[in-house]
Amino acid sequence: MPHEFAIGGVYLPPLLIASILGVLATLVTVRLLNRYRLSKYFYYPPLVFVALMVIYSVLFGTFVIRG
Amino acid sequence: MTLSTKAKESIKTALAMAISYGIALAMDWDNPYWAGFAVAFISLASVGQSLNKAALRMSGTLLAIVASLTLVALFAQDRWAFMLGLSLVTGICCYMMSGKKHQYFWQATGFITVIICMDAGPDPVNAFQTAMLRAEETGLGILVYTLVAFFLWPTSSRTGFDAAVAKLASLHQQLYRACFALACGQGDEQDVSQLKAQTVKAKASFDQLLNAALTDSYEIWESRDAWRQYQSKVTELMELISRWQVSIAEAKGLDLQRLMPELKTFDAEIDGRLMLIDQKLAGHYPERSLQGVELSYDIDGVRGLGHFDRAAFAVLRAHMQNLERLTRALFDAVGSIKGFNKAATPAEALRKPKEAFLPDLDRLANTCRFLVILWVAFLALIYVGDIPGGAGFVTMCGALGIALVNMPQIPVSMLFKPAAASISFAGIIYIFIMPQLSSFFGLGLLLFIVTFAICYLFAAPQQGLSRALGLALFVTVASISNQQTYSFLSVATTALMFPLLFLLLTVTVYFPFDLRPEQVSLRLLSRFFRSSEYLISTTGWDAPQAATHLECWRKAFHVCEIATLPAKLETWLPHINTGILSDTSPAQLQELVSSMQSLTYRMQQLLEERDNPQAQFLLEELQEDFRSWRLGIQGSFQNLSRTPIIEEWQGMCAQLEGFTERLERRIRERLDRASERQLTEQDAINFYLLLGACQGVSEALVNYAGSANVIDWVGWREERF
Repeated sequence: MPHEFAIGGVYLPPLLIASILGVLATLVTVRLLNRYRLSKYFYYPPLVFVALMVIYSVLFGTFVIRG
Repeated sequence: MTLSTKAKESIKTALAMAISYGIALAMDWDNPYWAGFAVAFISLASVGQSLNKAALRMSGTLLAIVASLTLVALFAQDRWAFMLGLSLVTGICCYMMSGKKHQYFWQATGFITVIICMDAGPDPVNAFQTAMLRAEETGLGILVYTLVAFFLWPTSSRTGFDAAVAKLASLHQQLYRACFALACGQGDEQDVSQLKAQTVKAKASFDQLLNAALTDSYEIWESRDAWRQYQSKVTELMELISRWQVSIAEAKGLDLQRLMPELKTFDAEIDGRLMLIDQKLAGHYPERSLQGVELSYDIDGVRGLGHFDRAAFAVLRAHMQNLERLTRALFDAVGSIKGFNKAATPAEALRKPKEAFLPDLDRLANTCRFLVILWVAFLALIYVGDIPGGAGFVTMCGALGIALVNMPQIPVSMLFKPAAASISFAGIIYIFIMPQLSSFFGLGLLLFIVTFAICYLFAAPQQGLSRALGLALFVTVASISNQQTYSFLSVATTALMFPLLFLLLTVTVYFPFDLRPEQVSLRLLSRFFRSSEYLISTTGWDAPQAATHLECWRKAFHVCEIATLPAKLETWLPHINTGILSDTSPAQLQELVSSMQSLTYRMQQLLEERDNPQAQFLLEELQEDFRSWRLGIQGSFQNLSRTPIIEEWQGMCAQLEGFTERLERRIRERLDRASERQLTEQDAINFYLLLGACQGVSEALVNYAGSANVIDWVGWREERF
């Protein structure tokens, strides 16, 4: 079962943590893609950003947060 | 120990904040932070500037009250009609706030309408009370700050204004000298560009301080019409000097000293006039009256030139003659300001013909973006359960959105840090310090210290965003009232609204219009050349002239587009990511904008000269040549509106050169056959001015193509995150 995170008595839902990690991982990925000019191969990068964010969040939620 | 200006200003704001809260709490008014907001946002460097902003905020509040109460009265039972009405009002405000006049009035009207509507809409029974409370508390904040600013270290804008006027006049003289040296082949273009940039900055500061000085200096107010006339003449002078500089480059090889024997007299007179203007502005009676300079030319010398050189010379001379007229008008305007020449009637000179409404596409795009933000927030409020902040989220989107969409160049990521820091700071004070306070003395002291700290640390103009966010979030998070409660949830809710707002702002960078700097720049370039193409198509003698109102309006719209687009593009250039577009340097981009600006001046010149009467026999003879030139240029503009480079640049240069040679030959043949009666002196001047304008457009186009071709546009078009 996913468990909540407690920071100083404030409970944070696991999905929130997974989403934050997902956004951070996506930001790193798109920065690298921009840096090496690989983003030109995508038809519409903003949608790819959203897709990457969802994929990363699911991955973090499934494999990291669940523990 | 003497306090710095920064410390004095911060003390004034902090004191006004504490007093406003004290009065609002003593009167037991709800939402006393509205008074705090008014203090935080009207405090500026001088009494005049603050009073101006205060007047705009108060009048904006009153209009917003009328608008929001009308909306509540009309559509209290129908949320969609209510929201459509609110969109209409705020849309108009959003469009108007990026105009030339009363920007803060429109901004205040827009966001206060959203605030009152969102407070009063769900609770229409208390709508009137909410609106009145807003007016009272805004008035209280303004009144308290004004009294504090008047009695505690009053700072008049007069000193700053006098200094700005003197600086502007001195820069005009330096700029004139640099341009004249350039015309004589001695100056440096780099110096002229630097001086021009300084003059533009000094003019902006003059404009701002004039409004402030009109409010807090009776002397300036008394001669307000004369000052407004001076302001408009200064604007004209700056544009004329820019056009003159462009024409100097064209007449580079000419021996102006020989062609215009009065050149030295002209220089001495204009230089002297600018000095006299400077002295007059300082309050000294002019030592001498103005001398007229006709700027006659050596007829034989001019006849010895090629036709295109004659044309370049005619354009240059026309600009210098305009300079003579304009400096005289400027001298008279200054005389009226200082009361040296009573005969002048500046008020009449200020009366302008009524101009048609010309929509600004960029301002419309900003308005669309704002409405998308407002509607998404509103739909989220209705359809998403427990959205953080509830109606407060819509209010925040409206209040911050209207300010941020009008600065589309600022990346959303730049807001993260100040917002996070402000919320953390305000949250710490709210959770850890405020519960320890037990009287207004403690609370007042806290308000004073926090406001002072924020104003003092972020006093520089470029830190305005951090200062505004810091004060606004402190006031919001603290949510001080007589029945004070403390809850971590209220801080967390405010904090959670920001990621949602940033998400909305980020989404609207891509939708409804792509606002990434590279894409916007490409769009602006494309629009510039589409407008140029249309305008050049109207210059032919065979082309139908704008006759109907719609055609006149369309032409005026495109004229306005080419006049404003280079400056708009310039505001986006610093945000182009030259780190990713490593083949593009800031200097190349600056060069591109300069070449666009010079193309604008040449196009304007061509449109002006096209309306002058021309000798019929010349028109008939050369019509076909002008037509082929026009179609060639029109084709180039058409290509440039699709892609910013001309693939066959060398080919285009050769084509234009060929055209120049052919036309020169034809003109020579035709003019040799023309008798004195056929071509009067005025006809010749008009013809050469027209020819010079055409040649100017060709050269500016070649220059643009040269600066555009060195940029790697492939990277600009690539998709990027």
